Order: sequence, then C-alpha cells, then structure tokens
Amino acid sequence: MAFKSRDTRAMIDRYRWWEVVAIYAGMFCFLFFLLSPFIEGFLVSLKPLAQLFSSPYRFWPENGTFAAYVSMWETVPGFARYVFNSFLISTISTCIVLLLVVPAAYAFARFDYRGMGLVLGGFLAVSMFSGAVLLIPLFRLMRTMGLLNTYFAMIIPGAAFLIPSAIWLLRTYMMRIPTELNEAAYMDGASQFYTFRRVILPIARPGIIVVAIVTFIGAYSQQFIFALTFNSKTEYMPLPIGLYAYFGKQEVIWNELMAASFVGIAPALVIIFFLQRYLVGGLTAGAVKQ
Amino acid sequence: MGQLSLKTVIKTFGDFQVVKGVSLDVTEGEFVVFVGPSGCGKSTLLRMIAGLEHTTAGDIVIDGKRVNDLPPVKRGIAMVFQSYALYPHMTVFENIAFPLRVEKAPEEVIRKKVAEAAAILHLETRLQQKPGQLSGGQRQRVAIGRAIVRQPEIFLFDEPLSNLDAALRADMRIELTRLHKQLGATMIYVTHDQVEAMTMADRIVVLNAGYIAQVGAPLELYHKPQNTFVAGFIGNPRMNFLPVTCTGVSAAGVEVDYQGQRLHLPVAPRPGIEGATLSLGIRPEHITLGAGEATLRITPSVVEQLGQQTIGYATLPGREETFCFVLPGTRVIEDDKPLDIGFAASECHLFDAEGQAFERSIDLAALTVPSAV
Ligand SMILES: Nc1ncnc2c1ncn2[C@@H]1O[C@H](COP(=O)(O)OP(=O)(O)OP(=O)(O)O)[C@@H](O)[C@H]1O
Ligand SMILES: [Mg+2]
Repeated sequence: MAFKSRDTRAMIDRYRWWEVVAIYAGMFCFLFFLLSPFIEGFLVSLKPLAQLFSSPYRFWPENGTFAAYVSMWETVPGFARYVFNSFLISTISTCIVLLLVVPAAYAFARFDYRGMGLVLGGFLAVSMFSGAVLLIPLFRLMRTMGLLNTYFAMIIPGAAFLIPSAIWLLRTYMMRIPTELNEAAYMDGASQFYTFRRVILPIARPGIIVVAIVTFIGAYSQQFIFALTFNSKTEYMPLPIGLYAYFGKQEVIWNELMAASFVGIAPALVIIFFLQRYLVGGLTAGAVKQ
Repeated sequence: MGQLSLKTVIKTFGDFQVVKGVSLDVTEGEFVVFVGPSGCGKSTLLRMIAGLEHTTAGDIVIDGKRVNDLPPVKRGIAMVFQSYALYPHMTVFENIAFPLRVEKAPEEVIRKKVAEAAAILHLETRLQQKPGQLSGGQRQRVAIGRAIVRQPEIFLFDEPLSNLDAALRADMRIELTRLHKQLGATMIYVTHDQVEAMTMADRIVVLNAGYIAQVGAPLELYHKPQNTFVAGFIGNPRMNFLPVTCTGVSAAGVEVDYQGQRLHLPVAPRPGIEGATLSLGIRPEHITLGAGEATLRITPSVVEQLGQQTIGYATLPGREETFCFVLPGTRVIEDDKPLDIGFAASECHLFDAEGQAFERSIDLAALTVPSAV
C-alpha cells in the first residue's frame, strides 16, 4: 500500500525527531499494557507445571517447552469440538448480522423518513441494556421457540445483541459516501437495487469488513453467556466452556489452560488476518471533488 | 428532438419557495446558460428538469410531453455534476459504460460507444485507470463521457468547470462548445462565471431569487438589460448607477439632469416622468479620460494597473457606493490626484424607480455585424 508509507513519511516530516520518538514510545507503552496479559499467558503456557507453583514466582520460564500444546489435547479430548463450535457460532452470527445490517445501515444512511431518529435511538437504547438483565426473558423465549440446547440458542441472541452497534458503525461509514453517486446512478437509469449492489456495496467494502471483524470478535467473546444459560449439551458448548475442563479436581492445569486459550483464539486470528487484507482505505478517492 | 418548456414551474422546500414560477422555452439544439447569484435557485431548477427534484407546481414539457412524473432516463436527459460524481471503484471505461450496462447493452455496443466517447473527449489512454488517478479536468471529461454514451436529447451541466483552475477552465469551455456543435444536442448549463455564460450561451437566463430576471442573447443582456439587476449582474466590473432627474421627454428620447449637466438619452420615452428621479447606468468600460458629454471630477482612491487596462475606483460626493471606471492600460493615472472623466449619452442606460429599464434605441443586429468598424 503505497499511500500508507507516504502518509507515514509525511507524518515524520511534520514532527521533530523527539516528537516522533515520544509518539512511538507512547504507542509502545500502550501496546505493552494491552499485550502484557497475553505475554504473561504465553510464558505460562511454556512453563512446566511444577515451575508454576514454585516460590518465588518467576516471570521467565526455565527450560521452556511446548509440551503443554501437545498434552492439552489428551487432557481434554473433546477440545477441538469446542473450538469448532465457537468458530461455527461466531461465523454464522457474523453472517446473519451482516445480512441484516448492511441493507439496514444503507437505508438509515440514505433515506430520510419520519421516525427514523426514534428507530436509531431505539437501537442505541436497546444496546445499552446489559445482556445479563435480559437472560431470564430470553431463556423463556428460547424455551417457547424450542431452541434450547441447539446452536441457534447461542447464535440468535448473540447476533441480536451485536446488531445495534453494527448498524451504527456501518451507517456512519455509509453516510460518508457522497449522495451524488446515488443521483448519478439514478440519472443513468439504475434502480435502487442495482445502485446498491454495483455502486454502494463495493465502495462500502472496507466499512463492511470492519463491521465483520468487530462482530466476529464480539460473537467470539460473548457467546459463553448464552451457552451457559441456554445450552446444557456438551457437544454444542463453545471454547470458553471447554477451557473450564482444565480446572481439574485438585488443581488448575495452568500451562495447558493457557496453551488451549491460544489454540482457541487462533481461528479467530486467522479470520481477522484474512479479512483485514481487504481493508484498503481511500476507496472513494476521485469520486467527487471535496 | 430536445425541445424543453417550463410552464410556471414552482419549487418549495417546506414553507420556503425557492423557484417562484419560472416559464421558459428552450428550442432544440440550443445552448442555454442559467446564471444568477448564489442561492437563487439555479441548481434547484436544473435538478427539477433532470428529475432529481420533485416539481411542486407547474409543468415540465419535453418534446411536447409532460415529464413531471417521469424518471430521468425516460426524459432523455443526462446530467453532469459539479462534483463529477464518478464511481471511484470502477475504471474510466466502466464509468463511461455504466449507463449502457444498466440498460444491458451488448458488449460490442458498449465497447464501440465507449471508444467513441473516449475519442471525442481525448480519454483513449486513460480507459483502464481509476478516477483517483486522474486530474480534475480528466475527471470532468469522464463525467461528460458518461453523459454522452446515452445519446440524450438534453444535457444538463451544473457548474461543471467550477472546480478547475482558470487555464483548464478556458480549455474545457472551448471543448464544451465544440462538443455542443458536434452533438447538436440541447444543453442547459448552470454557472456563475460570467465569461462562461457570455462565451458559450446562445441564450442566457438570468435568475434572481427564484424569478427569471431576463432571458436573452449574451449581447442583448449586455446592451439592453431590462432591469438594474441584470444591468448590475452582467458585465465586469459592475455598471455604475447615478441618480438623475428627468427634465424632459421627446420622441427621440429622455432628457435628464445630473448635477446641472443635461444629457439626452436615446431611449424609448414614457409619458409623465418629468421631474421623477431616475437611475442612470454607465458601464466602467464606457468611461473616457477627460471631459465628455457629461463630465465628473473624481479623485480615485484605488488604481489597479492590469497592463491591458487600468481600473480606477472613486467615491462620488454624497454617494456611498464606489464609482468604477476602466481605461486603456496605456493611460497611467495616479490615486489621490483629482481628474476629469466623461461619458457619452449614447452609452448610458436609464432605469425607473422600480429598476425597470427604458429600452435603449440601439440596433442589436448592427452591433453583432463584425465589420461594423
Ligand atoms: N433540499 C433542500 N432543502 C431545503 N432548502 C434547499 C434544498 N436545496 C436547496 N435549498 C435552498 O434553495 C435555495 C436555492 O438553492 P440552489 O442550490 O438552487 O441555489 P444555486 O442558485 O444553485 O446556488 P449556488 O450558485 O450556490 O449553487 C437555497 O437557498 C438553498 O438553501
Ligand atoms: Mg448550485
């Protein structure tokens, strides 16, 4: 991405050297703060179990080993299934959210109709409810619909919780697409749907990908609440529940637990890495003269 | 084909009337320019003709058919936006081809028509580039290309050149005039650039606050403005206005008095105006150095030497607005030094208290004959 390095260049040119150093130092501190739990977790996963309970506690592993990454599969034989479940639930949730949110966000961004502010405000208000408050009514709803102990019990409420913020995020993005493009397409005889598919969607792609990533991460991290409440079948349980299996009767197998956590996040990381490659900025360059 | 009529067209936004009853006939193949100050409703009127804006009242008629309720394509109209409105993710080829793709034209037709448009607009080498890689002038040409492939009867342009720099604007002006000749289509063009209006238009429509102030050929507006608005709007620098008293009316014209100086203006007389206060209009470029039929003693406060011409600004005693005059660039004058300037009665315009012009007795046809010298 040529433009990106040019931007960086421009940024460096605009600041004095010590300002650049300060900015990078600040970013590094922030990054370290964010990453330290992961670093610690990763180091724990490398330590032999005995070292974990030694006193005084050592930060760096001695004779670090990846053995936990092998033994974890024996300790919890069904672990792969948990990962698969998480992955499946998040993927389907994300697909559902995108299918509903992309057209909705477009409508909210482009069409002005009476009461739209109310509907949008409603979405915001609803999303402020803590999920915990709604668990009991949701449980009754799921039971009535006969969805308890199915994947849907985790997918549907999960998707529903993720929709409001996704709509707001994507609407904001789509509002930045110039309306002249709609008018030009209309002048050229294109129908609303044709314009949406051929003009708006391709331009909105970076926004849609961001929403997909945010939604996927959201689905991945929130699903265990629904799993614990609406599901009692082990074969449908997602990753976070699977991790509890490493809490043994007498002790917590910390190194394997951490190893399993990293294995569990891996598919999500792969998806995000895959999606972000399509995140190119500047897609509207040259559309209209600002 | 390409004949357009507006019949007392009105547009209101909420309680706010923006276009207040505009009637206009545009003949086939004509190049009509809408000019007017910002906010006077030019774009709104154009967008109503395009079909982008609902018409509150009145009829829009194209080739004898009322089109108020038809979408743009069915009106046989294409529009070029001020902001280009190109599809940023598509190549130049696909941008130009877009209207044809919409109507599902066969691939070879698309290729042929896009090639034709690209040739007319000198875009052949750019077809595979994206809009973001083009210059402003090239983008505007792509936007025009997208309009011509549909072969519309009527083209609408909303300030298509205002985002370009002066040199490019001059080039594009000539190209657009050539395009108009080549295509023979009706063109309606919104601008607030006077030079564009004067050079490109067959007829200019001057809009003021939602009304048509005057419609006419460029030189007609310049020589026979019907009211003070048009007189002040057309021409640069602006026309000067002086208060005069009517002292007599004859078949040959109207006699006025400006501070003791009598001027006999060759304009169509009206009865019963003796003693009335009228407004005398004189264009800065019609003022000469030294005494004339009427002479003013002024002290220029600012002098602009442009080489080609010298523009002076002065305040007349008892008047608030500045009086402006243009002299040949060879005339060197200095600011803060009093001097005499004069003008001829035949160059003057006369307006009544309502700002309506007395028609000048000049033959426009004679003015447009190039060999009149
Ligand atoms: N959608 C709208 N809602 C309300 N008022 C509007 C709308 N569009 C235009 N107007 C108003 O109508 C008036 C005329 O606008 P218009 O855009 O036609 O002016 P214009 O002559 O094209 O001006 P400019 O030279 O600045 O482009 C303005 O006062 C504007 O505020
Ligand atoms: Mg406008």
